[in-house]
Amino acid sequence: MNPPPVNLAVLLFASVFTSNILLANFLGMCSFISISKDVTSSNGLGMAVILVLTVTTAVNWVVLRYVLIPLGLVYLRFIIFIVVIAAVVQVLEMVIERISEALYIALGIFLPLITVNCAILGVSLFMFIREYSFVQTVIYGFGSGVGWWLAILALSTIRQRVEKAPVPAGLKGPGITLITIGFMAMAFMGFSGMLQVQ
Amino acid sequence: MSLAFLIGPLAIGGIAAVLAGIISVVDSIVNNYGECKIDINSGQKSLTVTGGSSLLQLLAQERIFVPSACGGRGSCGVCKVRVLSDVGPILPTELPYLEEEERENGTRLSCQIKVKDDMDIEIPEELFNIKEIRGVVEEINDMTHDIKEVRVKLIDPPQLEFKAGQYAQLESKPYGKIKEPAQRAYSMSSPPHDRDHLEFYVRLVPGGIVTTWTFEELQEGEKIRLIAPIGDFHMRDTDALKVMIAGGSGMAPIKSIVLDMWEKGDTDKPVWFFFGARTRKDLFYTEKLKEIESKWENFHFIEALSEPTPEDKWDGEVGLITDVLDRYFKGEMNTNGKPMEGYLCGSPGMIDACIAVMTKNGIPEDKIYYDKFA
Amino acid sequence: MKMSPTLQKAQENMQPGEITGDGFLGDDTRPLVDIIEADEERFQALGLSFEEVAEQLTRLLDRGREGLGEPITVDGRWLVKVDEARGFLPCPFEDGIFRKITATVTNRNNQTTVLVSQLSLHLLGHHHFLEGRGSSFRMEPEAARDVLAR
Repeated sequence: MNPPPVNLAVLLFASVFTSNILLANFLGMCSFISISKDVTSSNGLGMAVILVLTVTTAVNWVVLRYVLIPLGLVYLRFIIFIVVIAAVVQVLEMVIERISEALYIALGIFLPLITVNCAILGVSLFMFIREYSFVQTVIYGFGSGVGWWLAILALSTIRQRVEKAPVPAGLKGPGITLITIGFMAMAFMGFSGMLQVQ
Repeated sequence: MSLAFLIGPLAIGGIAAVLAGIISVVDSIVNNYGECKIDINSGQKSLTVTGGSSLLQLLAQERIFVPSACGGRGSCGVCKVRVLSDVGPILPTELPYLEEEERENGTRLSCQIKVKDDMDIEIPEELFNIKEIRGVVEEINDMTHDIKEVRVKLIDPPQLEFKAGQYAQLESKPYGKIKEPAQRAYSMSSPPHDRDHLEFYVRLVPGGIVTTWTFEELQEGEKIRLIAPIGDFHMRDTDALKVMIAGGSGMAPIKSIVLDMWEKGDTDKPVWFFFGARTRKDLFYTEKLKEIESKWENFHFIEALSEPTPEDKWDGEVGLITDVLDRYFKGEMNTNGKPMEGYLCGSPGMIDACIAVMTKNGIPEDKIYYDKFA
Repeated sequence: MKMSPTLQKAQENMQPGEITGDGFLGDDTRPLVDIIEADEERFQALGLSFEEVAEQLTRLLDRGREGLGEPITVDGRWLVKVDEARGFLPCPFEDGIFRKITATVTNRNNQTTVLVSQLSLHLLGHHHFLEGRGSSFRMEPEAARDVLAR
């Protein structure tokens, strides 16, 4: 493994803004579009994603470093990462339910929904490609989560206003949402000259 | 031949197994709530239960039956229990059913509270009297084309004390497409002095789970399960003039009350019992009531048909029960100045309409009694 | 199509024996969300509003209750007979309980008859659910239009 020489603060800033997993890499779209109808749900989902991303990326790093690489099974990373993600989400669900029933009900369906969110797998795979160290992995996972959360929160609030705007019938709903996401992505592209981490 | 190809599948299997192991370990820690102690009414009763289920369920398992109209789904707000311990914030599912005062004094919906720890609760005394009963169906008789009388002999416990007017929850068994037992409320039509029996009038409701079971499946000799006695519909021990009204199977608690009064010799106050039906074939048990009327000077039994057919050859009262009632208020009942009480049993519409007539004729609303589960 | 947990639970509650003896889905094998969507399309095509239909039928049911079991004529146009039973039915969507009040409503001008209940009208107005094919309380959108026709 050959971790790139990136400053941790720069890495954090980059994962949240300039290489935003949603708006730069366009990963995690399905729940992004469907849940952003409602601001409270978006907030809940975003926070759950931060938690899941941080934990799964870290766990996947450990599995990669101490099981897959030594056994020469790196080609199995796709399957293994997904299995780990599913298991981590399961455990997180149970723990949250036990610790705080109110939070569990508030997050509700979103916790299991995260398992099928491609951003989660995507972040783990990027971690592998860029050969991050453990600390870098945690920062990257956490930062990507925060970036995802900010993006969905922003989109949901934008959608609240777009709801009241006179949108042509054919574009209402998914249509105008995708156009909006496109604009957001273009805005974030402006960041790309600032700090490159990929 | 090298077995290197096995490493891949074994690794996947191994990792999956480890993860599954972690999940089940976490599950057994997190979902194992262990034994919890429930203290009721500051030490009046103390239960030790295995946590993890709702308070409503656990209490029922321990033979304490908190009433519920929706089977614990969180859609009726009836199963309120005052919880003195801290069980977390009020859930969004409970909020619509709790008044301001209730939220402050710790009242919660017992079907939404999961028991995870020891807790102190407060419940009304009456709930302790409600028992689970096993009985055997002694007789099923047809009263009208859509009402059956079901007579049950009590086995365990062999006798039951109750107040005339209370009801029981009958439990049906799975049949046809229906895979689970269901419970519905029926008033006892038998008087309390018949201590080792309970009788019910069951009216067939199209699509009704328990009434259909009673009509199509239930056999004489069959053992059934009941929960009783429940409810606070009963005769108030005052000298007021009692006006009792029943329609259809609503006859049951009124019959129980009338027979109870007759047996106890509680016969010195005026009792007027109005029984409303559509045609002659919807009347039942009237002979016995007329017999009692002939022996009990203060008891008056009035049957009224709203749509008698020519074949009925009816010469009794005709009209909607509310109209007949109004007529009697203004005429025969001679109610001038006397304190009065109303006792109603029937459909919600009939009850509302009769309350209107009664209040118009001088019975204060708080002296009109009826089963609120109706 | 994947259904949200609310719809999933509602579909479970609609099975025979959960709330009513026959359930709310009749012999319809379609998932609940498909039934609702199909009926929403038909209502839109007929220019009907679920809320308005529910409101008008509820008004007829309430007037019909005055008959105390006898059929009565409302507004000179509808014959309504209301039947009531004791107890309550919870809504399968777990958002309230309803008395067991059913009514047959007949439009005397075109003889269209529908069978409704307090619960079925709540399902119609709030949840856009007309019950599955084969259910005795199933209301076809055309019947809703015809029974309310002036």
